[in-house]
Amino acid sequence: MCLRVLLVEDDERIRRALSLALSDEGFAVDESCSGEEALPRLEKEPFDVVLVDLTLPGLDGLELVRTLRSRGDLPIIVVTARTDARDVIAGLEAGADDYVTKPLMASVLAARIRALLRRRGPGREFVRIGDLEIRPQEGLVHRAGERVHLTRTEFRLLLELAGAGGRIVTREQLLQKVWGYDYFGDTRLLDVHMRRLRRKVETNPDDPALLLTVRGTGYRIGS
Amino acid sequence: MRLTLRWRVALAFGSGLLLVTSVLAFATWNLASGYLLRQREACAKRQAEVNVRLVEQSLSSPGLGELLTGLTTGPDSSILVLSPDGLVSAGRGVEPAQLPAALVEHPPTSERITVNGLPVLAVARPVAGGSVYVELFGLRQLNRTSTFIGAVLIAGTIGSALLGAALGSWASKRALRPLSELNSAADRIAGGDLRARLPDQDDPDLAALAAKFNSTAAALEQRALRDARFASDVSHELRSPLTTMVNASALLRRRREHLPGTAGTALELLTSEVDRFARMVVDLLEISRSGQVDDPPPEEIALDALVRNVIATRTAVPLDLEPVVVLGDRRRLDRVLTNLLDNAERHAGGAVLVSVRRCGPVVRLAVEDRGPGVPEPLREEIFERFSRGVMAGSRGDDTGSGLGLALVREHVHRLGGRVWVEDRSPRGARFVVEMVPTQF
Repeated sequence: MCLRVLLVEDDERIRRALSLALSDEGFAVDESCSGEEALPRLEKEPFDVVLVDLTLPGLDGLELVRTLRSRGDLPIIVVTARTDARDVIAGLEAGADDYVTKPLMASVLAARIRALLRRRGPGREFVRIGDLEIRPQEGLVHRAGERVHLTRTEFRLLLELAGAGGRIVTREQLLQKVWGYDYFGDTRLLDVHMRRLRRKVETNPDDPALLLTVRGTGYRIGS
Repeated sequence: MRLTLRWRVALAFGSGLLLVTSVLAFATWNLASGYLLRQREACAKRQAEVNVRLVEQSLSSPGLGELLTGLTTGPDSSILVLSPDGLVSAGRGVEPAQLPAALVEHPPTSERITVNGLPVLAVARPVAGGSVYVELFGLRQLNRTSTFIGAVLIAGTIGSALLGAALGSWASKRALRPLSELNSAADRIAGGDLRARLPDQDDPDLAALAAKFNSTAAALEQRALRDARFASDVSHELRSPLTTMVNASALLRRRREHLPGTAGTALELLTSEVDRFARMVVDLLEISRSGQVDDPPPEEIALDALVRNVIATRTAVPLDLEPVVVLGDRRRLDRVLTNLLDNAERHAGGAVLVSVRRCGPVVRLAVEDRGPGVPEPLREEIFERFSRGVMAGSRGDDTGSGLGLALVREHVHRLGGRVWVEDRSPRGARFVVEMVPTQF
């Protein structure tokens, strides 16, 4: 089955080149030149992933990501020409699942998209940590009986940690398993997602009891 | 060694006050002790006159000795009456021979002398009948008083000199405070904090300096901001067309077989140059940013694990790793190792050993190869930007950006370490990155 991608990018040449190259990689690519145009389309049509350029005219890329995230858990990859830590973190904080910097190769982007949409094989039916109940099959998380809404990436991150029991999972393992990064290095991606995840599942995100940081190494689930 | 300004001011204040107060003290002491002595002399003379009259009345009576005893004024005083018949004395025992001849022979007179080790004032008066009356008044008490006054004055002088030094030190510290503020502000600016400013000065002498400093700092900050914005804009403007180029070129490369002959060769040239160009721009943008401080706070990184992780994504290389934790930015370290490995692949057929070892207080990360090595004169030069091609044996199909090792050096400097290349025996080169590990 062909994965449907919406590319929101204002630079026409980049849009066309990327869309050609991504089609070459086997995706069905739709193009959109602004956030205003993209929003209604994303409401009507089923896309598997959306690529958002952060510097859009009019409705800003960050704003678009925020709006999309508030609507649901559609995977979002932000594309940015700026490599400042601030821009990258802002994009991730707004709710993006991953980011790529220009000049990006369609092949790399394709790998990112596939990693993002990869489904885990059938695992355990039910995992419980603290007052969290995770149902991997249905993709549901409940805290003390109440549904917690996680994005697909947050869910997979939680599942990776939960699956390790109380053992330490290194940053590299998490980046590799959740985002498919074989070239490790950018821990900002992981840091921001961990922050987002903690805000949703921890009673006190500033003093986490479930998702513990192991300094210099990675994370583990608290017992 | 030159004394600091503060010490010099303190010293000047101290010695100035010392000079003034010691002159004053000396004069005071002179006047006071002179006055006391004169008073004592006048008093002694008056008393001697009275005594002489009493002695004259009972000169030939046998009660003279008793009278004299009654006239002595204390343990230090003595009275001698030298008459042609002999000597009558009372009080402290003094031989006439101990008195100066002039005193005895030419009364009336008075003189300060020392008798038996005691300072005394001798007053001689003629008595009717050719006798001489000599009375010695002890001056010990007076001397003690003037010694005491002297001691008090000396102590006062020393005290005021010390006070002067302390005052000088305090005053210069106060006067130099704007200077030390200037110093710390300049330090902060040198350290990269361009927002450092001097507080407003209400002293007209300092206000101009502070205003000048602040306007210079503001101009510097403006300029740094402009440069950063420009670099960011350049980055954006270059990355956008590059995105189009690399993706279009990737598409073309896949359809290489549709373009036979010359056009195909040209296409190959074009696509490989586009890739190289893209790498170069990315490296160039990275190196232009590497001086900027937007690093996340340094974190503890297990260097051995980092090496293992980087190697895991590449061709396997023998490893020799000791467990070491360093403090730094993961992305920079990662980039350092990757670039060193790329460099070994490009110029020396790949790395043959990557090691992490503790060497005393430092930790060394080394990447070794069996290539041609780096000749002595080029060992600094290869870390310069675009030094590619100076290496003997660099190849025609080189696709590096020429910035790899320069980036290594930039990142290592940022990590607080140093990097160099040395010979490896029997052949090849060893690139060494030296850092300080965290202490546990």
